This record gives sequence, structure tokens and C-alpha cells, in this order.
Amino acid sequence: MSTLTQILPMGRRIPAARLIFSAIGLAIGALMLLPLIWLALRAFEADFATVQSLILRPRTRMLLWNTALLVASVLALSTAIALPLAWLVSRTDLRGRRLVNLLAVIPLATPGYVMAYALLGLSGRSGFMAQVFDYTLPRIDGLLGATLALSLYTFPYIYLNLRAGFSGFDQSLEEAARALGATPREVFTRVTLPHLMPALMAGWLVVGLYVIGDFGAVALMRYEAFSYAIYIQYSAAFDRVYAAWLALILIAIALSVVWWESRLREGAHYARTGSGTGIGRRRLTLGPLGQALGWGFVGVVVLASIGLPVAVLSFWMVRLDDLPAVLPALIRAFSQSLSVAVPAALMAAAMALPVAVLAVRYPSKLSTFINRLAFVGYAVPALAFALAFVFFSLNAARFLYQTQLLLVTVYALSFLALALGPIRSALYQARPSVEEAARALGHGPFSVFARVTLPTIRPGVIAGMVLVFVIAMKELPIAFLLAPTGFRPLSITMFSRTSEGMLMEAAPYAAAIMGFSALFVGVVLRHDKKGG
Amino acid sequence: MKDEMPNLPKTLSFKMPAEASPLGYRVKPKKTLLSVERLRKSFAKGESAAVERVSIDLGEGEMLALLGPSGCGKTTTLRMIGGFETPDEGRITLRGRDITHLPPEARGIGFVFQDYALFPHLNVLDNVKFGLRKLPRAQAESRARDMLALVGLEALGARKPHELSGGQQQRVALARTLAVAPPLVLLDEPFSNLDAAMRVETRQEVRKLLKEAGSAAILVTHDQEEAMAVADRIAVMEKGRVLQIGTPDEIYRNPVSAFVASFMGRSNILTGTASGMEVKTEFGTLPLSRAANGAVSLSVRPEQIMLEPDPEGPASVVGREFRGHDQLYWVQEGERCMLVISGAGAMIDVGARVRLRICDCVVPLS
Amino acid sequence: MSFLRNSVFALAAFAATPTLADLTLYSGRGEPLVAPIIEAFTAQTGITVNVRYAGTAELAVLLQEEGDASPADLYWAQDATALGAVAELMQSLPEAVVGSVPAAYRDAENRWVATSGRGRIMARATDRVSDDELPGSIFDLTAPEWKGRVVWAPTNGALHGHLTAMRAVIGEEETRAFLEALIANEPIAVRNNTAIVQSILDGEGDIGITNNYYVSRALSRDAEAPVDQALFDDGDIGNLLLVAAVGVLNSSGHSDEAVQFVEFLLSPKAQQFFVSDVQEFEVVPGATIPTGRMLNMEQVLTAAPQVDLNTLTDLEGTLQMLRDLGVL
Repeated sequence: MSTLTQILPMGRRIPAARLIFSAIGLAIGALMLLPLIWLALRAFEADFATVQSLILRPRTRMLLWNTALLVASVLALSTAIALPLAWLVSRTDLRGRRLVNLLAVIPLATPGYVMAYALLGLSGRSGFMAQVFDYTLPRIDGLLGATLALSLYTFPYIYLNLRAGFSGFDQSLEEAARALGATPREVFTRVTLPHLMPALMAGWLVVGLYVIGDFGAVALMRYEAFSYAIYIQYSAAFDRVYAAWLALILIAIALSVVWWESRLREGAHYARTGSGTGIGRRRLTLGPLGQALGWGFVGVVVLASIGLPVAVLSFWMVRLDDLPAVLPALIRAFSQSLSVAVPAALMAAAMALPVAVLAVRYPSKLSTFINRLAFVGYAVPALAFALAFVFFSLNAARFLYQTQLLLVTVYALSFLALALGPIRSALYQARPSVEEAARALGHGPFSVFARVTLPTIRPGVIAGMVLVFVIAMKELPIAFLLAPTGFRPLSITMFSRTSEGMLMEAAPYAAAIMGFSALFVGVVLRHDKKGG
Repeated sequence: MKDEMPNLPKTLSFKMPAEASPLGYRVKPKKTLLSVERLRKSFAKGESAAVERVSIDLGEGEMLALLGPSGCGKTTTLRMIGGFETPDEGRITLRGRDITHLPPEARGIGFVFQDYALFPHLNVLDNVKFGLRKLPRAQAESRARDMLALVGLEALGARKPHELSGGQQQRVALARTLAVAPPLVLLDEPFSNLDAAMRVETRQEVRKLLKEAGSAAILVTHDQEEAMAVADRIAVMEKGRVLQIGTPDEIYRNPVSAFVASFMGRSNILTGTASGMEVKTEFGTLPLSRAANGAVSLSVRPEQIMLEPDPEGPASVVGREFRGHDQLYWVQEGERCMLVISGAGAMIDVGARVRLRICDCVVPLS
Repeated sequence: MSFLRNSVFALAAFAATPTLADLTLYSGRGEPLVAPIIEAFTAQTGITVNVRYAGTAELAVLLQEEGDASPADLYWAQDATALGAVAELMQSLPEAVVGSVPAAYRDAENRWVATSGRGRIMARATDRVSDDELPGSIFDLTAPEWKGRVVWAPTNGALHGHLTAMRAVIGEEETRAFLEALIANEPIAVRNNTAIVQSILDGEGDIGITNNYYVSRALSRDAEAPVDQALFDDGDIGNLLLVAAVGVLNSSGHSDEAVQFVEFLLSPKAQQFFVSDVQEFEVVPGATIPTGRMLNMEQVLTAAPQVDLNTLTDLEGTLQMLRDLGVL
């Protein structure tokens, strides 16, 4: 019966709250789409022949190929890291699993461009390896460098999804397969792995979108992927039309990735048997050799993903002779980052609330549509999204152009999906009967929202805000295109110093970003604990 | 009344029965409190309606159980009365006022949810106070304390809901609802989250509290035993329709259909040819509980059948279940398998030949 | 969590709102080259400057798109070519301010003026390229012996200025032919001038065309670094002298202050900064004390080809060419 109530009610009385939330949701959706329309308009300004020659030239094909190659190799490497880790933590009696779990999530604190910085700082004549171990490591860059930088940072997303997949998986299925005569290896490939696919694909989607949209790491690694090419077109070339076209193509790639993922997930229907999990969970007993091998793997991963950036950063920080002299500039950059990240977090939460309420409390085709729109900002690669807003504000909303308000708004839209996640799941956990009870006790819908709903979902709202806040603190590509004049946040300062080869001068900024991102890891872990 | 039953129109509308319920409470209403007329609700176009022309009248202080299997529309009916769903058609009046399109908060109807729906961020006392915002603070406080005392939880006012047991949460939910003294309280499967022993104890306590508060109540349940134990009257629903409304005794003894008969406990369904107050069956001519004519289906309760060991008997025992105070037998006679409950006498072994005798009026079904 | 929230809000209270500055400067030059100048200017005049740092070409496009509504008062380009491209947006600077700069280093109508100069030079790996091997002309880099050894930064503004000059001096077709041959020689493409020197230091490339001060900068950090710089034969187009230039926008609401800023850039103090700290060349002769640098102004001027900077306005054509060739 309760499922019936989730179907569109056709009653004559449409609640005022639903109307208002729908209107807000549609306005947010329009805010997402309008600039993209401007981007398309700008792209179609050019005459057809020019466009054709621009798009069909070999360089575009090369960019496509490079981007696909990078996505594939990052997915492969990060899965190769995450799958064994998740398996060790979820399904074996490896000693210190709690610690391994923590170590597997910490790398999220190192954004791709900081990881790229670390890899660059490792190599070369004056690099870490040359100075500390007297061995000049050849420069790590191009596809290899970009793959390493991105994989070492993004594998925790896949790890977290896989772990959730392992814990939601009914082990009796494996036992049933064993009883039917399958070997352990067959069980893994024919039963376990297929059931992990949805979790794996969810992780791949996040990482794939991240790689497609990444700008900092590929730029520092001199790898010509799409985002970087868009930036080059925008910053170094006169022709904005080509930049607009590249952005459109990149958006098409990202959206088709999202579409394929949802198609594949629809196809993969696995009964969820989560009710009985956690009870009678059996773990594989590792012998001494198994323990050693397990920790050997963990050790290599930790050394590369945590040890590397920490060591390289410390190395450059120590060489920085006059840290106090850098402090005022550092604090200035930090406070500039704060001045957009805090309002962005608040705005994203304010936008996410009505959208989440619509999704959870008033499910309908319209609210599904609004919720899909809310993900546009997340799916559209950051640089393309920012470019769309450049065109939009220059042509249609001049008063917003180069303002802090615009940057904050674009952050809020781009990270809306991040805020939406925890808020929506908090709402799902807050039983509707609690709100209905308040209604039955004489409170109107808005009083109920303020006095019951909001207090109940507060942890979710705060978690959503913190996520957006921390991401906005280290954001790079959007800031690059939309920064108001004079705005030099941590990320831009660090990036421009690194790309000028000033690794030493970049170190304090990189350290600040890493330290701050640790907060993000804290939030992720907190949520992870709750999720199981 | 009895005579009307077989000729009921598709839409059922009942007058209050004048008899006393077997539990001894007065059920004759002072006057009608709630009137539900031809309520209809479908959730999606093209799908059959979840609730189809349901009409119910409820008297002041009366307790009615909406009984039926899951998906029969009972919860939807309840939620329409509470204002959480909007009916497509039909009218709901409370004390003569049309409330069909009023939002829940304007109806003044209490609702006790299956999961109790206590506010997790408020302590027990604040939960109970929640509906009392129109009262001055001190008055609300003392009213809430009184209500907690009434349900025996005065010592737990400072606790958070998650620190209470299921039964305690249930009582807080009730206290919270009764604090605003609603004329009508709706309860959605209120005992389903309690364990079996708690359930029996709690349902009598809830009935007592409601009766003392003078609130009428509609309770949704899929458990016929619970409905019979708590309600003054029962409305049996199936596929969105009310099949029968009556006192527990009436519905048990006089079901209108095979569905009601089997839902209200085990029943054997026979066929026969009726003429007036008699019916011809393979067990001979039997008295009918109400007049009927022509081919009819008949309901015979297992305890209405006598089992006599008889080596020459036409039937044989094919199964037996020992139930402590009585035995349940499966008896095969020809093509037919009959259920028989036999309390008295020695146990009969499986395989023994027996003779069946029906020793009471049988009920013709529509 | 509440601790987290409280600290977030406490930090938010600290967050600086951007100060309202008196002047807005669009700078195609990087922050390390600009920030100290701004600091000194504000200290001296009390006028504050908000700077938008971005690519030189990007800012030129932005100025064109913004038109009269541009918030910018000044545009300081890494390369005069970009200023030539947007010269129509600039106002003529008073002769009294720019008169000290040789006419070759400013617009005919004084709509822009050079602030400092730099020589395009060769950076080479001293351990892999001997003096004998050094090419006499930039065109020699297309020879087979340099296959896969040349480092360049095709997206960099300095190169764009250099190519624009080549097109003006040796012609459109010849420049294209040179580029095609160079690209066919599989050069190593990097992001910017710093990266060119870094690439040579890392043993990846052996020779690169960059600006004079990048090598000096690398050597000042690590005197043992196996890199140095050299010039092509005198008069070769590879030895081009490029200038950074500044202009005041027509639309500026603070022309006086903006001109004051230009004046400051041409003052001995700023010129000395360019010479000693950035290791560029002064554009106001005799204003500075030369430092012990690897190349001096005279050497560069002798080696540089004669090119009229005023003819270098077709940046767009250069970018179009690079795009046609598939490197942009």
C-alpha cells in the first residue's frame, strides 16, 4: 500500500508546498540549462563550413581519442587498486582492516592537480628523487602522468562503492553456487562480480565524469585531453566558436556516459537482499603469507597515494626558506577561497532542499524531471559549464559578469548534486509519517517543514553543505574562467605557480589545499560509517 | 437486517446495529460522528481503483476496524479520512461539516501511525506537547504531563523516542494524539510493530484509553483476531470495496461471502439448493441462518461440524493437528476435504473412518 | 558535526570580501612579474589596483567582447602584438608620459607603449648540444639532425608574437612552410616558456626557443643546471626582440590614475625591477643600472632583426595558421 502512495496522486487538491517547491525546482533547472543554450547558440553562430572544418579536423579526433584513452586507463588502474582493497577489507580477516579502510579513503584529500604537482616534483634534476636519493627520475607526464595523478586520487570513489556493494551482497548466493559445484574462482566471476557490477558502475560513473572534466591534472601533465584543449582555445586563441564547439562535444560525451551508465544499470537487475546482511558475515581466513601479501599491496597503494604527495610536499616546504613571508599571501588566498566556498555551500543546500523534498515527498514525472535537471551541473564538465556561463553573462546578464555572485551561483549549480545526495537520503530516512503526524496535530505544511522536517534532516543538510564547501575550496577550472578580477583563491595561485615551474612557491598552497581537503575525507568517512 | 444482506447493492451502507457487542460495550451510537460517502480513489489512470465507492458511518465514541488483506484499500481509506490522500470522488463529513478537501491540520482528526512517527529530534514530553501549541505554555506542559501519566510514562518525559521500547513508543504516540482531544482517532496497523505477547496486552489498553477519552476510532488491521478483540464493529474490505460491516459476532457468524467467511477464520464452503430457510446438501437438509432460494454456496465453520468415529462412515481422517485445547482434523469425504475442529472426546487417528454431522445453521453466501 | 559547522561559519566571518580598488588591470603577464610592481605603485601613490590575470590573447578577446562595458582601465599584454589587435579600444597616451620611450617601442598614435623588452633566444642543453652544433638560423631547426629534439610552446603568447612578426617580415607562405617543416620534425610541445627550460633540464628536449630571462632564472636557482642560452646569427628572425606593452582603455573611468600607472611602469624604479628581478631589458634608455646578466641589451639589439612593432597587429591570423596546422 505504501508503494501506491508514491505514484502520482491525481487528487484535486495540490498542496501549496508542492507548487512552490516545483516552481523553485523549475527555476533552478532553468538556471542550469539557460547558459547551456547560450553556449549552443554561440556555437551555431559560425557558418556551417567553418564549423565542419573545425570539428572534422584530425585534432578533434585526436582529442577524442586522448580523452577516451585517459578515461579507460584511469578506470582500469583505479579499479585495479580499489577492487583488491575493497575485497581485503570486506571479505578477508586482514589485520587492521579499520586502518586500511581509512588509508583507502584518505587519498581523496589530494586533488588531481596537487597529485600531478607531487608527481612532477618527484622527477627532474631538482626534484625530490634527485635531491633525496640522488637519482634523477625522468619526467612523469603525458598519458602515464595523467593516469597516475587521476587514479591515485579517484580510486577511493570506486573503493567506497565496491565496499557498499560487498556489504549489500547476500553471501548465501555464493554458498548456493558452491553447493551447485562452482569453484571459488567461478563463484567470483559468475556470481560475486556480476553482483558487484552496479556498485562498480556507479563508481566508474563518478570517476569517468571526473576524468572527462578534469583540467588541472591534464594541464600540468601536458596531456591534450578535451578539457585542456577547451582551456587553450579559450585562453590562447581568438576564436571562441571553436571553444564553444569543443565544450558542446565534451558535454555530449559526458551526457552519453551518464546515459549509458543508466542503461547498463537498468539492464542489470539484481535482487537486493540487504535485510539480512551483517549477520553471519563470513570472512576468508588469510594465512601468514596472505596477510603479508595483503599488507604488501596496501603498502604499495598507501606509499603511492599518500606517501608520495606528503613526501614531495614536505620536501618542497622544507626548502622554502622564508615561510613567514609567504603567510600573508597564503592567508589572503585562503580567505578568498572561503569567500566563495561558504556562500556556495549555503546556496547549494538552499537549492537542494526543495529539489530533494520534491523527489522524496512529491514524486511525479515533474519532480523526476527537476531532479534530473539538478544533476546537469554535475554531469557537465566544469570547464564547459563555466564557459557557458561566460557566454551567458556576457550577452544576457551583464550585471552578473565577473561577479562573485556568478561564481558562487555556478559553484552551487555545479555541486548541487553533491548537496542533494545526503539531503535526499536524510529525507528518505525521515519517515513521511512523522510529517503527517505533525499535520494531524494541527500544523500547516510550512510549520511542519520548519519544525519537523528540517530538524530531522539537519545532519544530512550539514553534510551536503560541508561537501560542497570543501569541493569549492579546491575547485580550479570554474574559478579559472569565472573568477572576478583580483580573485586569486588557493587553487589558482597554486596551479599558476606550478605551471610556471615554481614548485617551491606552490608548496604552501598545495599543503593548504591538502590539509583542508582532509575535512572532506572526514565527511566521507562519517557518512561511510553510517552507510555500513 | 439479516434479510437485507444477500440483496446488498454494490455500494454498502449500513445502519447501526442495535445489539450489544459480545464484549459488552454499548455500541448504539449517540449520533453520527463521521460519514464517509461513496469514496473513490485511483492512483494511476487505467488502473483499477484502490478504493471503490466506500461508505461508512461512524458514531460518536464508536470503534470501527477496517479489516482486509494488504492492498485492499483500507489504509488508503484511512488516509483519505485523515486528509493525507485526496479522494477522486465522494464526500467525508465530520459532525456534519464537509472535510473532504480540508488539509489534515484543519480536520482535527488524530492519527496514530504504524511506525508511531514520533519526532526523533524532540523528547517524549515535547512530542506530546507538539499538538498543543494553541494552549498557553504552562497549560500545554501540564496537559502533556497528564497525558503521559495516563499512559503510565510520566517518568520518561525527558527521554528521546529512540530510547523507548516499542510498546512505550506506541503509548507516547497515543498520548500525543489524545492530548489534543480529537473526536476521532485513526490508527494504521497500530499493533503490527509489537511482538505477539505485547500485542494482546496493548490492544486492550489502547481500547480502554480511547473509550475513556471518549474518542471514536477507526483502526486498520489485517488481523481478524485483533479486529474482533478491539472493535465495536468491523468493516471487511477486499479490492477497494467494503464487503460487509457489522459487529464482530455478526460477521463471524453470518458472513455475506466466501471471502468474508474465510477471512474471518477457517470455513468450509459447501454448495446446496436452498428454499426459504432450508437448504439441501450432501449432508442432508440443513437449516439456514437466513432465507435464500436456488443454488447457493454455504459457509460451515469447522466447529459447527461433529466428528463421529464410524468404521462404516463415508469419510476418513487424512490429517490432524493437535492444538492444545482442541484438535483440527482434515477429513476427506469423496472429492471434498473438510476442516473440523473437535474439542471434546478422544483423539481420532489418521486413517480412521468417520461420519460428519453438521449441527448448526449454515450460512448462505452471495 | 556542530563543531565543524561552527568553525565553517567562524571562517566565513573571516572571509575577505574583495576590496574595491581604484584601478582594474587586465594582465597577460603572470602574477610573479606583476604583483611586486603593483605593490610598489600602491605604496607610492595610494592607488589600489585589482588585477585580472589571464592569457594575453584571452584578455584581448575579452576586451573585444566587453567593448565599452569593460570593467578594465588598463591592459598590460605580454606581447605588443595583442595590444595592436585591440588598439582601437585604447586611448592615446600623453607624449609627456611616453616620450622617453623610443618610437619603435610604442604605437604611432601612442595607444600603447612598451614597458620592457626581451630577446627571443635559444635555450640549449649544454651536455647534449655543443657550440659547433648550434644552428645559425631558426630555420635550421627544421633540419633532420634536430628531429625530436626541439621544445616549443605552441600555445604561448610569446611564440604567437614571434610568429606574427615572422609573417610580417618573411611573408605568410614562408612562415607556414617553416611551421609545417618544424611540426614535421616532431618537436616536443609544452605549455609555456618555463616548461621549455624545464624540459631541457629534465633531459627531454635539447633545444628550445624561449625568452632570454627563463634561462637566467633557471640558472639563478641552480647555477650547475646544464642549460644556457645562445643567439642565432645576427639579424636572424629567430633573435626577435619582443616587448611587453600597456595601454589605457577608452572606456576607463579613471584615465588619470591609469596614466599614472603607465608613468610608473616607465619610471626608473619599475624599469630597474624589470632589469634586475625579471631579467628583461629596459625600454627607457639609460634609466637603469645594468646587472651582470648573460646577455646585455647591446648584444640583443645587434642580433635582433629590424621589425616595426607597429605592423604586428594580426595576431588572429597567426592563431588561425596554428589552428590550421593542428597544433592549437
